[in-house]
Amino acid sequence: MSQLGSLSLLIALLLAVYSIGANLYGARKQRADFLASARHALWAMCALVTLAVIALWSGLLSSDFSLEYVAAYSSTTLPTPYKFAALWGGQQGSLLFWTWLLSIFTSIAAFQNRRRNPEIAPYAGAVLALVAVFFLGMLNFVTRPFDALSLVPSEGTDLNPLLQNYWMAIHPPSLYTGYVSSTVPFAFGAAALITGKLDDSWIRSTRRWAIFSWFFLTLGNLFGARWAYEVLGWGGYWAWDPVENAAFMPWLVMTAYLHSVMIQERKDMLKVWNLALIGLAFALTIFGTFITRSGVISSVHSFTQSGLGPYFLSFLILVVVAYTGLLIFRSRDLRSPAEFESYLSREAAFLFNNLVLVGIAFAVFWGTIFPVLSEAVRGVKITVGPPFFNQVNGPLALALIFLMGVGPLIAWRRTTPRNLIQSFAAPATLGLAAGLLAFAFHIRAWYVLAALSVAAFVMGTIIVEFRRGVSARRHMIGEAPATALVNLVAKNNRRYGGYIIHVGVIVAFVGIVGSAFFKTEVKKTVTQGQSFAVGPYRLQYLGVLPIDTPHLESATANLLVSRDGREVAQMAPAKLFYKRQQQPATKVAIRSTPFADLYVVLAGLDDSGRQATFEVFLTPLVFWLWGGGLLMVLGTVVVMWPNVRERAAIAVALRSAADSQIAGEPAPGGD
Amino acid sequence: MRLKLRFVIGSALIVGAIAYLIITAIRSTSEYYLTVSEVAARQAELGGQSLRVAGRVKVGSIAWDPASLTLRFAIVPIPEPAADGAVAPVVATDPVSFKVSSIGEPKPDMFAENRDVIVEGKLLPAGEIAATQVLTSCPSKYQAKRNK
Repeated sequence: MSQLGSLSLLIALLLAVYSIGANLYGARKQRADFLASARHALWAMCALVTLAVIALWSGLLSSDFSLEYVAAYSSTTLPTPYKFAALWGGQQGSLLFWTWLLSIFTSIAAFQNRRRNPEIAPYAGAVLALVAVFFLGMLNFVTRPFDALSLVPSEGTDLNPLLQNYWMAIHPPSLYTGYVSSTVPFAFGAAALITGKLDDSWIRSTRRWAIFSWFFLTLGNLFGARWAYEVLGWGGYWAWDPVENAAFMPWLVMTAYLHSVMIQERKDMLKVWNLALIGLAFALTIFGTFITRSGVISSVHSFTQSGLGPYFLSFLILVVVAYTGLLIFRSRDLRSPAEFESYLSREAAFLFNNLVLVGIAFAVFWGTIFPVLSEAVRGVKITVGPPFFNQVNGPLALALIFLMGVGPLIAWRRTTPRNLIQSFAAPATLGLAAGLLAFAFHIRAWYVLAALSVAAFVMGTIIVEFRRGVSARRHMIGEAPATALVNLVAKNNRRYGGYIIHVGVIVAFVGIVGSAFFKTEVKKTVTQGQSFAVGPYRLQYLGVLPIDTPHLESATANLLVSRDGREVAQMAPAKLFYKRQQQPATKVAIRSTPFADLYVVLAGLDDSGRQATFEVFLTPLVFWLWGGGLLMVLGTVVVMWPNVRERAAIAVALRSAADSQIAGEPAPGGD
Repeated sequence: MRLKLRFVIGSALIVGAIAYLIITAIRSTSEYYLTVSEVAARQAELGGQSLRVAGRVKVGSIAWDPASLTLRFAIVPIPEPAADGAVAPVVATDPVSFKVSSIGEPKPDMFAENRDVIVEGKLLPAGEIAATQVLTSCPSKYQAKRNK
């Protein structure tokens, strides 16, 4: 099985190399047969990588410890679902998984464009194949998943306990899907630069890919936060660790991209900016892999320090230099005829929102690499921790959310002050009222007051938008309010789906502010029967239950939670000990309500179990973060929902493209 | 053209504001990130400063009182890994070591003798580090030990 795996990876590499050549030659010489053969090579590559994945999975499932990877990341007692998840539990496997996704997405993109975009698709195919060559080269020559052990151990060392968790099983696949699918729009952007066909066809044909990528980046970040919250046991969900930042930066840039392409589609502006953003998003995904795998930046939940750093850095530099070179080479052709006309225009709001998003990404980047920079420049390693990120991103987040409210309500090109007052009077009043209400409830932190006002303001603008749409339908078509609302969203799913995402962002933002500013923490050592207070709750330690299985040992504490003398819940935080890895882990107990989460960690236990140390957090509104995330996901589904009108438009465009080909007009070629 | 200039200025203002935020935040939040040997070398200038120190927990130095959540231990330099990848044993009589005290925090899960830790806190004049946080890095770092 292992020979099958490594052989398929080798042939897949050869096919990827061939596909680059066939795509380029076919595009240059207008040879449809070569282009078809290049496509088939990509499909065959995908089939072979799939075979390699199946081979590794079967090794993991059958506990074939003659494979070094299986011996290192699995064991006979590892539960079966985690044997599947062990595919991305270690370095070689996760790179194989990455390559697999890349080959799948490449094949789909090649299939979608087998007749579409005859000018840029072959070059995009070549770029995708080039990226595949890099990853397949790594898998064949640098970090091989099918290396065999000469001395076969009878038992494996098991998957890291921190990874033996539901969220961790689904977090990396989502994040990788988001990372890898951004390669498709990147490849089309690069192809547009190579061919000089710089209209917005590359954006239109990859719009769904960009949203798809953003969707999974969003999910990946949310799952990662949820994992940190449930597994790491420190009461928080985000610590600005380099590994988290590596996942957050592409999300920010992708968000900026999705907004700025609207300006290009509508106004034919910001061409250079859009191409730069998609290049940056792709470069950041490679950068993320570089910092997590190279050990250049120390992270608390760091990955292995391996020899991969130089390879990823070289590839990153190659991508950035080549892409920047292309942008400069084409800069003359990328000038927009249109210009900004007024600060009070939707274009301006979008531009400023983009600047803030990229600014946040830059601040995160700067803080992440600061230790390396300071060591290089001043000879001393200086780190910046979470306070840095919070201090910079707090105000920027306020600005961003404010612009999020302004953008959709303001007109394209220019707005008159009268329109402005008409549109914003009600939302501004709502925002002010929210601030005053919070003040009346004795909230004095300026940031919280500002955050609540801005959040209420933006909610107001979204309500105004929905009301406008619904009342227009009611008057013009005579629909009932509920029908009008449903039809409004269904007929304009891109726009109103976007608003649903915005609502999600605000809900999540309120959750973040609430949990960041009003968290209380209690640490207490108690003996059996004793109780202690946390906010309005009383927690009584009843005792401990030890359990011993071949896979792990656990000690589960039993706590009786009461409020105002009445029992409200039993909570059972536990300490676990994974036998194979000789490693302890924590299982927190969480009681979640929309108002606050009660989060209990069993932090210590004496040998008799009579005395236990608890760390308890009472975190308000953290529930809203997950709820907001869910709304964002829902909104994205609405945005991605196939729209009848859009399909018709695409069909028309396709037909005219096909007609021009049949008429024998050679497409304006190459450069 | 005028308008274009106005937009360049507007954008420059935003970029400037972001740069200002970054610079001031770096000034007010940066901490030295040092190894035990580096702290020893610069002890005089570091007194009272916030820092993060990477070191290894000295054998036989741990004292933990769960009732008061007081953890005391000493850290020594992390030895350079030997060429074959095996980790050289720590000599118990290492000359450079710092006492660390952490009060009011539970003992981290993976805290043990000979483990690598990052201590965040302030260096007291007496040469003791008053820790606000003790982070343990997982010894395997998600990578299994090689048993070849």
